[in-house]
Amino acid sequence: MDNNLEKIQVQLQKDTNLSYEELKTKYLSTNGLLTLAMKAIASIPNDQKATYGQNVNQLKSSVTELLDQKKNQSLVYSPNNRIDPTAPFDVNTPKNDRPEIWDIKGTKHPLHKEVEKLVEIFQRMGFDVMESKQMDDDYHMFESLNFPVGHPARDMYDTFWTEDGFVLPAHTSTMQNRALKQFEPPIRVVLPGRVFRHEATDASHGHTFYQMEGIYVDKGISLANMKATIKTFLEAYLETDLEVRIQPSFFPFTEPDCEFVISCPFCNKTGCSTCGHSGWIELMGCGMIHPNVLTQGGIDPEVYSGFAWGFGVDRLTMIKLAINDIRYLRDSNLNFLRQF
Amino acid sequence: MKISVNLLKQLGKIDKSNEEIVKGIKEHIGEVESYQDLAEDYSDIIVAEIKEKKDHPNADKLGVYQLNIGEEKLVQVLAGDKTLVVGDKVAYLKPGAKVPYTIYTEEKPFIIQSRDMRGMLSDGMMGSEKELNLGNDHTIVMRLPDDAPVGKSFAEYYDLDDFIIDIENKALTNRGDLFGILGLARELTVIFGKPFNTPVWYLDNTKNLREESSCLGLNIINDAEVLCPRYTAIAMDNIVVEESPMWLKSALIKFGYKPINNIVDVTNYISQLSGQPLHAFDYDKVISNDPNKNSSANITIRMAREGESILGLDEKVHELNDRVMIISDSTNPLAIAGIMGGSETEVDNNTQRIIIECANFDKTNIRKTSMLLGLNTEAGTKFKHALDPNQCIPVLKETVRMVKELTKATIASDIIDIYPTVEEERNITLSIVKINSHLGLDLQKETISQILTNLEYKIVKDDDDFLTVLVPSWRKDVNIKEDIHEDIGRIFGYNNVESILPLRNLIPAKDNAIFTLKKKIRQILADSGANETDTYSFIDIVTLEKANLDANKAYKLKNALAPELALMRTSLIPSLLLKTQMNLQEGYDKFILYEMNIPHIQGYVDENKLPREDWHLSSVITSIEKRNDSAYYIAKRYVEKILNTLNIKDIEYTLLSEYSEEKLTEDFKNSIYMFDRNTSAVITAGDVVLGIVGELDNKVKMNFKLPKYSAAFDINLNVLNTIEIKNSAYVEMPKYPESRVDLCVEAEDEIRYKDLYDVVFKEINNDDMKGTVSCIDIYKANEKATMKRITFGIAVKNFNKTLNDKDIKVITEKIIKQLEKTYSVKII
Repeated sequence: MDNNLEKIQVQLQKDTNLSYEELKTKYLSTNGLLTLAMKAIASIPNDQKATYGQNVNQLKSSVTELLDQKKNQSLVYSPNNRIDPTAPFDVNTPKNDRPEIWDIKGTKHPLHKEVEKLVEIFQRMGFDVMESKQMDDDYHMFESLNFPVGHPARDMYDTFWTEDGFVLPAHTSTMQNRALKQFEPPIRVVLPGRVFRHEATDASHGHTFYQMEGIYVDKGISLANMKATIKTFLEAYLETDLEVRIQPSFFPFTEPDCEFVISCPFCNKTGCSTCGHSGWIELMGCGMIHPNVLTQGGIDPEVYSGFAWGFGVDRLTMIKLAINDIRYLRDSNLNFLRQF
Repeated sequence: MKISVNLLKQLGKIDKSNEEIVKGIKEHIGEVESYQDLAEDYSDIIVAEIKEKKDHPNADKLGVYQLNIGEEKLVQVLAGDKTLVVGDKVAYLKPGAKVPYTIYTEEKPFIIQSRDMRGMLSDGMMGSEKELNLGNDHTIVMRLPDDAPVGKSFAEYYDLDDFIIDIENKALTNRGDLFGILGLARELTVIFGKPFNTPVWYLDNTKNLREESSCLGLNIINDAEVLCPRYTAIAMDNIVVEESPMWLKSALIKFGYKPINNIVDVTNYISQLSGQPLHAFDYDKVISNDPNKNSSANITIRMAREGESILGLDEKVHELNDRVMIISDSTNPLAIAGIMGGSETEVDNNTQRIIIECANFDKTNIRKTSMLLGLNTEAGTKFKHALDPNQCIPVLKETVRMVKELTKATIASDIIDIYPTVEEERNITLSIVKINSHLGLDLQKETISQILTNLEYKIVKDDDDFLTVLVPSWRKDVNIKEDIHEDIGRIFGYNNVESILPLRNLIPAKDNAIFTLKKKIRQILADSGANETDTYSFIDIVTLEKANLDANKAYKLKNALAPELALMRTSLIPSLLLKTQMNLQEGYDKFILYEMNIPHIQGYVDENKLPREDWHLSSVITSIEKRNDSAYYIAKRYVEKILNTLNIKDIEYTLLSEYSEEKLTEDFKNSIYMFDRNTSAVITAGDVVLGIVGELDNKVKMNFKLPKYSAAFDINLNVLNTIEIKNSAYVEMPKYPESRVDLCVEAEDEIRYKDLYDVVFKEINNDDMKGTVSCIDIYKANEKATMKRITFGIAVKNFNKTLNDKDIKVITEKIIKQLEKTYSVKII
């Protein structure tokens, strides 16, 4: 090996105690040892150039390796003494640098802001609130909702399962049975929560999203009551008058089963991108609670009737805030979060 | 489910526009996925005949054709297909015509234009099967039958001047009867207020077909009666397999089927019409393939055996097992019951004798088999939705009728019908009052009766408020009175239901304490510069391990979407660490992320043996600024901010390394390893552990490339919620002016600030006076020093007088004496 290179190598072994900055200056700055050695290749005879180049590169990787090591070490903070956790600040804190609340822009997550708004409207309408579970069993997710084992409607829900046989709720309806059992009629409860669908993610589909279920059970409750309750809620939330339509749909846990459709509040039915130029937006599934579901919840369907609905909060938030990609909601990018 | 409006109109005698029909379906049946106006798609395409053929002078690969398109002048079209000859009939796409295939596959349909091809003008195009959306062949120009009338609209000739509506299958999940056009025509007719007349053949259950010519032996054994409630079959002879007539091919194309031959096409056509799948076996192949040589065809319906397999019509081998129902000969599988036929007994051009099968299979078994084998077929889809076993005979007979009509075939056996347990008829009693109170309507009994009769319910008893009806056998979804209420509401029209708010009593709704607590915390943190996140519940082993967490404590997903989403997180902090790292890389240098959500720890269950779901508030605080103090104190400052605002008092902080792990709950036993033991504290209220706050472990910081000044906290909100917030009554405040004094003491490093503080505080709060203690400074000469100096700022008010210097001195001396006695501190 070239004499000079050997010298540098020996020197490097002695320098392992230097700091990151010191090492960088000594070896890699304009006049650094390694930089000069690399420039020197011009003066090496042609037949030795290849070997020289190899050796220089080897040396360079040793330096880079050591630098990386130093960089990681510089992250480490190890106070020599244990702190006193009961004190308001550290013995090392300069007088004018005591820990205080930071004066930067704090935010609530846009989705949770909407959940709060939605829940508040229902609370004003006299609804209780019960939050949904994130891991549940087959009974609550399917059986208590009139999905017998092997029912094709189970295919409608692409469900995640854990190896121990728990289910990640694909809808907040997983809470219906609990709500029916926990409360006495008249039952008015909203059930917000995180739900999971086993499906590929794109701009408008996520495997994780937020839903809000609601149920209303009392004597003599009718489809007409359902129509009015959901409409009243939506008008309060969207702060505008709406035309509403109910279309038939299918859910095992309601009878009749419906889809709730509203006139587009953004274009007044003239057609815009939000409503896909149809003037109408399909907002949620709803229906009269199936007698089997009431029975499973310990409520006599011959005496009481009720309705239920469920809608996705992500979609509503996206519509309201003109967010065009559902993934932004979970990316936690401060560029995004600090806008709200 | 694709339906042709022409056929609907014909069956239902409905005189409505396409728009009205789409609207009717949406409002009364279910969501329409899409619709397609074929007449529009095929406009400007006409039948043409080749009159002259030439080679292209400049291009070997192009043929130059002169077409008669029914006008005086011939049209010149160039084509890559040089196999066409004079006299061939073709579909000619005029300039301006859309290529039908591209209408549904491209963003914008491809529009034909006159164009120059190597010096010669091509004034339009001749379409291939694929371009015309009628098949898959795109190598040659599609030849039309010789009798195709030149100059006529191609759509009209092919009966394609139709409107196709695709109804979302999901909306029909419980309506097996709507997987046939007949069922949809019935619904649609009733929606438009008219009774539906089901075709006579569909209701004719008599087994009146008799063997006509040669007697073909056909023996059927049902060894799977539970899963195959009914099996009917018939043999036919003198079949001539050939291409189907145009009307049949065109009809199948519109249903989305590929025409194959007249026999297969007839079974597919009737299957789509009635919703009842059919299958045709080649009779001679069934006999010749049977290892047990016999002169009769022997068919058994049974469960497959482990190790058996079948080559399906899809040309793939399907491994079978004892959960799969099959149709077999005396030994080997012939078909996967209800899902797919086998290739070995397939009807081909040489077939002369056939067996037609029309059976009823259990929907659950078909669904499971379809999932198990990954086979989604038209037949499987129909069986999955529960079909009426009563339609087997009429559908079989209608198939025989059509086969005879198309091929002059003869019936070669009696109808074989294995139907051991005949389905019972269902009677349901309705109450007019209940119907109206359920739907919020005020319908007369006559209106209700009319709707039900139109839907072919039979009214068997009419007694004042009550109607007893016989449910049509095809309505497998109707089992309770509410199912019929739905029919009435749906047909009458949900949009005719008024909006009436329910009346409610004045009992106030209950507060959800945790939800309210989260709302308060969200406000406090948002007001304090922290940003809320909503990260996924899923995590992977790598991230957990990078955060010093035990991946074995996480629930594992059986069907994760991706490796990085394979586990349920055991703490929210790892997710926040990833997001902190990401935002640092984005260039943010000082920020706080927080989230309120539910972590899950394997085996940590609630009273119902379900994973315990406590809400946690977790936060990661980071700044790249160079500081000498520990980031513990900024994190603690935030915890205190929350607790103070919530007015929660008497909180203790104990150094993590001095806290006994046994006293922690499972969630915190899990998360302590993310924290540095000497710069973190356990937060407690009495015996209750609320959470952990402190610096992140050095290794964790390194793994997530976080700066030195990074800390976190994790609080169990369900536990926090159990702490009673003392609404302490007002305490009288002293009116006399406040006196202040500073006190500097030197104590051993191990003595906790809080212990000294407590001594001072106690001395100045009694019946005579009220005081506050603040920390002015904590100082150590150097990091290795064993002593520290603390300067307290003391402020005291007396209830009865203004304190003078002498009084203050007395108080200070008492404090000093007490401090010296308890902690041997030195006063400076």
